[in-house]
Amino acid sequence: MFLNPWSLALTLCSLVILVLGAVAGKTAVRVLRFWEPGSDSNRQIKLENEIWLSSTLVAYGLGFQIITLILFVLAADQFCQVIVGAMCATGALLANSYGMPALLVKLFGVFFYGFWILIHQLDIRSEHYPLVRIKYLALLLLLPLLVLDATLQTLYIAGIKPDIITSCCAVVFSDSTGGSTNLMTGYSQQGLLIAFIGSIVGLMAMGLVLLRRWQAWLVGLYAAGWLWFFGLSLVVITTVISSYVYAMPYHKCPFCILKPEYHYFGFALYGTLIPATFFGASAALAGLMRGKVGLGEMVDRYQRLAVKLSLILLVIFSGLSFYHYLKYLISGGEG
Amino acid sequence: MAQTNFEKQINILDYALSSLWRHRMKSLSILLVFAAVIFLLASFQMVTQALSDKAKQVLAYTPEITLQKMSAGRQEAIPLAYKDKLAGIFGIRRVVPRIWGYYFDEVLLANYTVMGMDVEEMPEGSRLDTALASGKMPTPDEQGRVVIGHSVKKALDLEGRTTFSFFRPDLSLKTFTVSGEFSRSTDILTNDLIVMNLPDARDLYSIPAGKVTDLCVYVANPKEIDTIARKISEALPGVRVLTRPQIQKTYQVVFGWRSGFGSICLLSALAAFVILAWDKASGLSPEERREIAILKVLGWETSDILAVRFWESVIVSGLACMVGMTAAHIHVVYFAASLFRPVLMGWSVLRPDLHLLPRMEAGDILLILAFTVIPYLAATVIPAWRSATVPADSALGG
Repeated sequence: MFLNPWSLALTLCSLVILVLGAVAGKTAVRVLRFWEPGSDSNRQIKLENEIWLSSTLVAYGLGFQIITLILFVLAADQFCQVIVGAMCATGALLANSYGMPALLVKLFGVFFYGFWILIHQLDIRSEHYPLVRIKYLALLLLLPLLVLDATLQTLYIAGIKPDIITSCCAVVFSDSTGGSTNLMTGYSQQGLLIAFIGSIVGLMAMGLVLLRRWQAWLVGLYAAGWLWFFGLSLVVITTVISSYVYAMPYHKCPFCILKPEYHYFGFALYGTLIPATFFGASAALAGLMRGKVGLGEMVDRYQRLAVKLSLILLVIFSGLSFYHYLKYLISGGEG
Repeated sequence: MAQTNFEKQINILDYALSSLWRHRMKSLSILLVFAAVIFLLASFQMVTQALSDKAKQVLAYTPEITLQKMSAGRQEAIPLAYKDKLAGIFGIRRVVPRIWGYYFDEVLLANYTVMGMDVEEMPEGSRLDTALASGKMPTPDEQGRVVIGHSVKKALDLEGRTTFSFFRPDLSLKTFTVSGEFSRSTDILTNDLIVMNLPDARDLYSIPAGKVTDLCVYVANPKEIDTIARKISEALPGVRVLTRPQIQKTYQVVFGWRSGFGSICLLSALAAFVILAWDKASGLSPEERREIAILKVLGWETSDILAVRFWESVIVSGLACMVGMTAAHIHVVYFAASLFRPVLMGWSVLRPDLHLLPRMEAGDILLILAFTVIPYLAATVIPAWRSATVPADSALGG
């Protein structure tokens, strides 16, 4: 179903991102082949200029990627109106086997872009550009991810078959369940909530210890903890938190909370969770770069900042995620 | 550090604003063309949104299932006897025969919707009188009585009289007396409507006795619509069974399709604009080259100049969005989207006037931004980098 403004906008954005990526990739290849830090040849000076271009392009790409991520979920929400049995974005994304993979690739793409920009920012803080080769190798590795993203998205859009009245008969003989399709079922809510609260407490404790006494191994553990917490949070939002937001026990959907009916609550929730995870995990990533010339102090500064930011965002996120739950427990829910 | 960075961005923003002002003719030309492109896209999006909302509103009042007889792939009159074959299906609240047609008034060049039905048979039939501003609904035994909508009254100029005549297919005249008028609050449904009883409608269109155009099936439980529709189509093989959700989805697809088609046509305008933006951004005058060289001599870095260009693009896009979307809103609300209505509504030019109410959600705005601002930003980034890497010595020395 390409003839739809949402599909067209998504395709257009993907094309733009691919073009930006390709231009940046060209620079990456040249840098990997010809980079000579000590030289003052014409080519080296040109390359040093091109670095600015490629980093700007990736920064734009990150911005566009975030927009397409939101656009993709909103588009799925629009598509559900024309697909049999789909009530919201969940149904639309499950309409064919490319929807969920496309969403996940987009989501993780945002993290990888962010990491790249972090490496770039650390790199340009040092006079020697110590991370240039790593950076451009990473950029070349990002390109297949971009292509995968665009391919999955195109396959998903191409695979959507709207259910419309045909000239002979309008009755669809397929089974249109019409009920609620939930993404995840079969988890015990109690167990999940305990794990969720436990993880929040654990992360807080680790973060506070880190800020008091810095230890390299603890940073790694902290980052791993964040990755675990990210996955767990997505599950908990889907299975527990969302139904408290909707005030409906059987409506468990991670996408509908993004809608205006629920005051765009999901944007606040995901808008704190994703950056928090990024900062939590990137502290360890930055730590890996400590050994390079002239980066030690920068890395230290960044790590402390990242841990602080991730803790602040964690507090906000926990507050947001328990708001409806506590409201229900105290005042008995809506109205 | 965060503080100084913020101050730096504010200063760069300040510089970007003054730079835009210094090249105001160039900025203004880009702004106007950009606003025009956004206006076109946003109008399309708003009309689509408003029309599909309207369709949803209208469809909320239609029966859950509509039956039409098909012959040679075309619709024809359905025998009333089919009603009896549905008697055994549980869950059907009521089957109401209906004659639904259009009457083209050749004198006034207007199209009216004519509906013939037995009001008393409808599930909420007795409540229909409340939708009337005056008079009452025609009963089955009152001959020649009709209830009309507002535009019909205006078109037929029925201020001082209550009778008017329509032509039958054989050009003989049939006279009607107005017994009531729909209130303005139901205009969306009743504006061009003429309601009469079944025998009158059959007489007007010369439909043989015992036949109607379609049968409306009212279903008590909406969850059973699909099952009942399947049972009906098994019981009556030659009949087209239309369910309300299906019609709704089809409208959605058709509007989406048309709007997508319109957007594809507008893509060429977008492409032209992107080329213009690229061209304007890359053609650097000697003064601009000198300006950048001086900035660099003063200690600005490439990234700072890129930031200036970024802010310039953001300001231009932001202003263009505001102007374009406001213009689109005015176009849709006050001019009823006169530029695009024919494309989106089909071929009919005889419809009564329509008031569209666009509803813009944050998502729609994001959609329009993705359509216009992202290509614009992408088109200006490479020229911006070219201008930012002008070597200071060559620009000043030359």
